[in-house]
Amino acid sequence: MSNPLADMDKPDVIFCIGTNMTECHPVAATRLKRALARGAKMIVADPRRIGLAEIADVHLPLRVGSDVSLLLAMAHVIAREGLMDQAFIDARTTQGEDFMEHVAQYTPEWAAEICECDPADIEKAALLYGGADRGAIYYTVGITEHICGVDNVQSLCNLALMTGNLGREGTGVNPMRGQNNIQGAGDAGALPNNYPGFQAVTVPAHQEKFHEAYGRKVDLATGMTKVTALDLCGDGIHAMIINGENTLVTDPDRHHCEHALKSLDCLVVIDIFMTDTAKVADVVFPATAWAETDGVCTNTERRVQRLRAAVPPPGEAKPDWWIVSRLAQRMGWKGFEFESAKEVFNELCSLSPLYAGLDWDRIDRGEYQWPVPTRDHPGTPRLHEEGFENGRGIFKMLEYRDPEETLSDEYPMWLTTGRRLPQYHTRTQTGRSGGIDYLLSEETLEVHPDDIARLGLVDGGWAELSNPRGCLHVKVRATAKSPKGTVFASFAFEDVPVNVLTGGGYDPVTQTAALKACPVALKPVGPPLALGQVGVGARGF
Amino acid sequence: MKRNGTPSTNGKGVQLTMTLDGEKVAFTRGETVYEVAERHQKEIPTLCYDPRLEPFGGCRLCIVELEGARNPVASCTMKAEPGMRVRTRTAALEVQRRILMEMVASENRDTDVDPMHGYASQEMAELLDRYDARTGRFEGALSGESRPDDDNPFIKRDYENCISCYRCVRVCAEQEGDYAISVMNRGFHTQITTEFGGLLKDSACTFCGQCIQTCPTGALGDLKALANKDVPGETETTRTICPYCGVGCTVDVMTRGEKIVGVLPAMDGPANEGALCVKGQFAFDFVGHPDRLATPFIREEKSGQLRPASWDEALDFAAGKLRKVVKDHGRRAIYGIASGRAPHEAAYMMQRFIRAGLGTNHIDNCSRA
Amino acid sequence: MAEPGNDTLVEHWKDEPAPLLPLLHAFHERDGYLSEEALRAVSRGLRIPIADLFGTVTFYHHFSRDAAGLDRPRVCNGPVCSMRGAEVLLASLRAAGHDPMTMPCPGRCDEPVPVIHRGTVLTGRTAGTLVSGPSPLPPVPPDGVEECVFAGIRAPGRPTLAGYRSQGGYEALEQAVTGMTPAEVVDVIDASGLAGRGGAGFPTGRKWRAVADAPGEPKTIVCNADEGEPGCFKDRVLMDHDPHGTIEGMALAAYATGAVRGFIYLRYEYPETCDILEGAIAAAAAAGLLGDGILGTDFRFDLMVRRGAGAYICGEETSLLNSLEGGHPFPRNRPPFPVTHGYENLPTVVNNVETLASAPPILVHGAEWYRGLGRADHAGTKVISLSGDIARPGNYEVPIGLPLRELLHGWAGGPPGGRAVQAVTMAGLSGGFLAGADLDVTLDEPSIRSKGSFLGAGGIMVFDDSRDMIRVTRESMEFFAEESCGKCFPCRIGTQRLVERLEGQGPRAVDAWVDEVVDLNEVMKKTSACGLGQAAPLLTESLIRYFPDRVRAHVEKG
Ligand SMILES: Cc1cc2nc3c(=O)[nH]c(=O)nc-3n(C[C@H](O)[C@H](O)[C@H](O)COP(=O)(O)O)c2cc1C
Ligand code: SF4
Ligand code: SF4
Ligand code: SF4
Ligand code: FES
Ligand code: FES
Repeated sequence: MSNPLADMDKPDVIFCIGTNMTECHPVAATRLKRALARGAKMIVADPRRIGLAEIADVHLPLRVGSDVSLLLAMAHVIAREGLMDQAFIDARTTQGEDFMEHVAQYTPEWAAEICECDPADIEKAALLYGGADRGAIYYTVGITEHICGVDNVQSLCNLALMTGNLGREGTGVNPMRGQNNIQGAGDAGALPNNYPGFQAVTVPAHQEKFHEAYGRKVDLATGMTKVTALDLCGDGIHAMIINGENTLVTDPDRHHCEHALKSLDCLVVIDIFMTDTAKVADVVFPATAWAETDGVCTNTERRVQRLRAAVPPPGEAKPDWWIVSRLAQRMGWKGFEFESAKEVFNELCSLSPLYAGLDWDRIDRGEYQWPVPTRDHPGTPRLHEEGFENGRGIFKMLEYRDPEETLSDEYPMWLTTGRRLPQYHTRTQTGRSGGIDYLLSEETLEVHPDDIARLGLVDGGWAELSNPRGCLHVKVRATAKSPKGTVFASFAFEDVPVNVLTGGGYDPVTQTAALKACPVALKPVGPPLALGQVGVGARGF
Repeated sequence: MKRNGTPSTNGKGVQLTMTLDGEKVAFTRGETVYEVAERHQKEIPTLCYDPRLEPFGGCRLCIVELEGARNPVASCTMKAEPGMRVRTRTAALEVQRRILMEMVASENRDTDVDPMHGYASQEMAELLDRYDARTGRFEGALSGESRPDDDNPFIKRDYENCISCYRCVRVCAEQEGDYAISVMNRGFHTQITTEFGGLLKDSACTFCGQCIQTCPTGALGDLKALANKDVPGETETTRTICPYCGVGCTVDVMTRGEKIVGVLPAMDGPANEGALCVKGQFAFDFVGHPDRLATPFIREEKSGQLRPASWDEALDFAAGKLRKVVKDHGRRAIYGIASGRAPHEAAYMMQRFIRAGLGTNHIDNCSRA
Repeated sequence: MAEPGNDTLVEHWKDEPAPLLPLLHAFHERDGYLSEEALRAVSRGLRIPIADLFGTVTFYHHFSRDAAGLDRPRVCNGPVCSMRGAEVLLASLRAAGHDPMTMPCPGRCDEPVPVIHRGTVLTGRTAGTLVSGPSPLPPVPPDGVEECVFAGIRAPGRPTLAGYRSQGGYEALEQAVTGMTPAEVVDVIDASGLAGRGGAGFPTGRKWRAVADAPGEPKTIVCNADEGEPGCFKDRVLMDHDPHGTIEGMALAAYATGAVRGFIYLRYEYPETCDILEGAIAAAAAAGLLGDGILGTDFRFDLMVRRGAGAYICGEETSLLNSLEGGHPFPRNRPPFPVTHGYENLPTVVNNVETLASAPPILVHGAEWYRGLGRADHAGTKVISLSGDIARPGNYEVPIGLPLRELLHGWAGGPPGGRAVQAVTMAGLSGGFLAGADLDVTLDEPSIRSKGSFLGAGGIMVFDDSRDMIRVTRESMEFFAEESCGKCFPCRIGTQRLVERLEGQGPRAVDAWVDEVVDLNEVMKKTSACGLGQAAPLLTESLIRYFPDRVRAHVEKG
């Protein structure tokens, strides 16, 4: 997030797009609700009538995957009405003029054809955001899990740049991170293109630095992404070490993934449970879990916080860092003689400019938000206050692209996926915590009542959901939360593995999977298929 | 949020001051008398007060004597004004507070509840002790109807111990923004309720547990923690961060011996300021679950099955296999996937393994899924 | 005509000012109760969380949540009516096939026993003899007594605009808007010594000035016509027989303070009054006396009636404001006061009907005239609602400072049947009792306060020497317990404990009993958050003071 969580009750206008915050980041959503109680206005762009939409001033029920068109049209209205922050544009951005020209063609009427929103609502939303003194944008995977994920984010940045809604209290372009330490995994360098601290591997000075630190020359080329690696399993990639991820169930394309992992010579899995992924491994190492592990994590607002062990682990389970470092030792490598999490974290701090002012003891109370470049630095709750890292903010001339897969007569409905409040991810944790299943014990497919009637489905009955990648059976629930023509399911329950269906394409830049838009066919069926009978279709469209 | 500001001036450079128990003290514009007194360790008793919520003025325990006012005033709702002269503890006030506590005790079935009920559950009992108010005076009807019919596994709704402070209702609205519960009827017959008096699961409740944690009597209780109330040992707490989403809420994990017995929100957690959601509050017992892996496993060549192994054996086995891959296919044939749910040290070590060990950049994390 | 659908009703009200109560009434009257479906429609339309709306609806006595609940006749069981056969009436209604429920005093104590049935007030002693009719006019005062608010009220045609104008009505408004500055209007009211007639007695001129001076627009005038105090029925008579007097008073207040909108918050129990007021407002608006461009000037004032739904606490001004705004009607914490943070947190005058109705005559006749209406040093008049064991019950506008005994015996004929006055209540019920030598008091606030009571809104109920004062106190305390809003501990618990002790529960030794009751009294008086809880213990306090032997007998009898 560019801005701290504490800023979330400060905007005049909140623009939430592709984030079901009340279910995925409930505690952050409470701050938005407080802003609303104080009189702030809220725009919610989401295909579904999610919880936030219920309390919004404008709900834009856009067609899945059409975000760019909507955002271009909003930029159009803001430009047309002269609601830009010209001083900001002049002082801190480049290509502003070109951008205003570029968006002149993208009227709300044009966008309405694509995103299926009322042009008057698009206009209203644009006027609200454009007219705000403090406008803040929040988004989650609803924006990034598309083939055009990067374009979506860029479009949001364009809006913020043109209205000067960056670098001030209650503004910003704020992604909400989905997992407790997904930010930290990046901070720590678990990326093919960056060393710890987002230092690009392609920059000679960085290579120099790590060569020295690690005593070994590292490839000059960027590594491959996980998506590519899975594609190349058995053909270039022959071993994987997977830590704490149930890849098989969370991967956008289950069959493909299963096939990939099975074609490895060696799969090492480090986890706390015998997940589906662990079951196909050659070696499984038992890791300590949350509340058994000392360590550090970074939250969505870049706050670096301590995790502390409260209970001993079961049996012989060990911290992940211990396992990997001991494995490295067995590989015969030097320099892995770490004895504590503290030692590991302090080495990270010494190598990451973002953490240069931190160490294990200093983060004890969690008051630092990175970057913390020096010992006397107070941390950075808000990014871009003084300026942008790379000089000026650059407007991007984007154009709308159709999703890789579009609706057809055969597959006439959009399937979109997401999370639900009580269950987390694939339920490895929540499913094993007493009581959570009381709130949500099975997956259901959310279908608009009109679609239910039209397709001859029954509320509470079963439906078959299929596309060329696969098919599954799921219980149907009638709800006006889903727009007509779009159905929703989460990936929480293993008996409804929606990732047998998803997987149609990746963002070409980040290779984030298009989990949010996938054409399917839907029809009523009798009793459910037993687990394991889940059908496999011919691959590819 | 608590507005414990530093003393401010009236805009003309003159510091704002008032007199508190005879002592001249500075305050910030907007501070309440209670907040000023708090800063000066006056220990004014309260029951309907939660520093995160708008002051309500219901329990009247926080009364103080204000010069010029006919009656004592509630300090939690009274803004400090320059020149105010306030006394926080006089014989008369202490008598009134004691009577109020005797009255409070008279309407509840129990005046002592297990601390496992929740964060604030001992507040009433502590004040009853402080005011020696367990006298049995003012005996009469009990107020509130419990809801044993609510079968939710998280929140005990034992309203026979409710004192109508409405902290639960206010925390649900002001802090959580869920508006799941409210006050029905009036006077002695007020009752905390959901819409149309139904079960929590049929209401807007998200089971965040905030109401439990602010309840000063244990009328609301954390059923998951209470299930552990007989686990032997002293309850200890360890401060850490919730394992679920990226908000990073601070929690205090309660343990007895080697068992996690519950979770408390950290009121001073920088990201959450005391708030939690159903997962952070209640989904903790996967940790001690019998399904947890307790030893390494390796796949036996012959049977093709995974079997338990010692660390030595498993590490050697894995290293052997990996070395073979390097030998057969080169060091670029190994790929590492770090976790977005393990600590920094895990991700750091994984990339170190790949970079310092193999000299490649074949490392990623699971954020792309 | 087809009944309007849910959406039609919601659409009709949702953008109106203070829409919740009228919308709920619309559903209540359409369906005969408030169904779950209706509440959900309201919740969506007005964006009030459903749990809050549900809780708030249950707060009001007269909203029914059961099908056909509105059909149940509501019978007064107030202190006067319970002496006059409320039980008999209830029984006869049951015998006639009704399912009656009780209600607290609906302000008809001069004509016991009132019943409200589907928007009509009936009075009588048995099911078969119930009749509806206008509220009684005030009795004519003794010769030589000059009145202020009642001066023209008995004239035929007075409720109509023409009748009102024929007696000089709206001249005060005309005089003000065409010839005086707002500050001059405030000065006159200030100089007259007029103080609030709703109970608290705050100087009206000072209140208006505070609102005039307060920052924030738009400002609002609220006429407090909730008259929930048992034994008070003066505001009803003023509005029924002289509606334009109140309307003109509100317009004057608006002009004086710069307010542009006004509400009359009318208690549910006055359905006929609602029609009268709405008719009068429409007539005044049509004549250019309300709305835009009043009397050809650019003064603008919009006036609306909002009906309560049965909650005594909604007469407390901050609770009233919460009720108007659609919130839960708990009183607010003060400061800040309504003069700066009133309706929608903006400057607001809240004045009682009688207070507002006093303004036009004061403006016409001058401050000096008004001051001179009182006896001795006291300024002005006060309407007293007199009921109970008294020969001629009714509303009397007395000079402030009139001896109580002169009113009781001289003006109203004393208790019937030659009985003696055992006790009277003050301020309706809120002032507790006066008895014995303390009946020799003059009707002015300082004198009555010196006896540990107060004049308040001016309701006086008379109990002759045949009445059981324990029973009277218990029934009165039940009222406060029933009406306690539940916000603050001393009142919520205290009223209940006092009722229990008056019912015969609690300690069986007099000393212990008195100890507990005195402690409850003290704590309630000193620490309650609003006037209800502070006033309720005056009943038990005066009971113990005047009737110690009765108390002893009550406690020891067991
Ligand atoms: C419990 C309670 C009930 C009240 N009920 C009424 C009422 O019914 N009518 C009224 O005018 N004032 C009532 N008041 C007084 C109001 O709070 C307020 O003082 C009054 O409306 C101000 O108008 P005034 O200054 O013209 O009297 C009540 C006060 C309390 C504490
Ligand atoms: S658990 Fe949370 S949402 Fe549910 S009633 Fe309590 S505070 Fe409200
Ligand atoms: S349940 Fe607890 S928090 Fe809620 S009103 Fe009762 S005592 Fe207060
Ligand atoms: S004194 Fe009684 S009526 Fe007034 S706020 Fe307290 S509980 Fe409510
Ligand atoms: S703490 Fe102030 S009234 Fe309860
Ligand atoms: S009308 Fe019955 S007591 Fe007033």
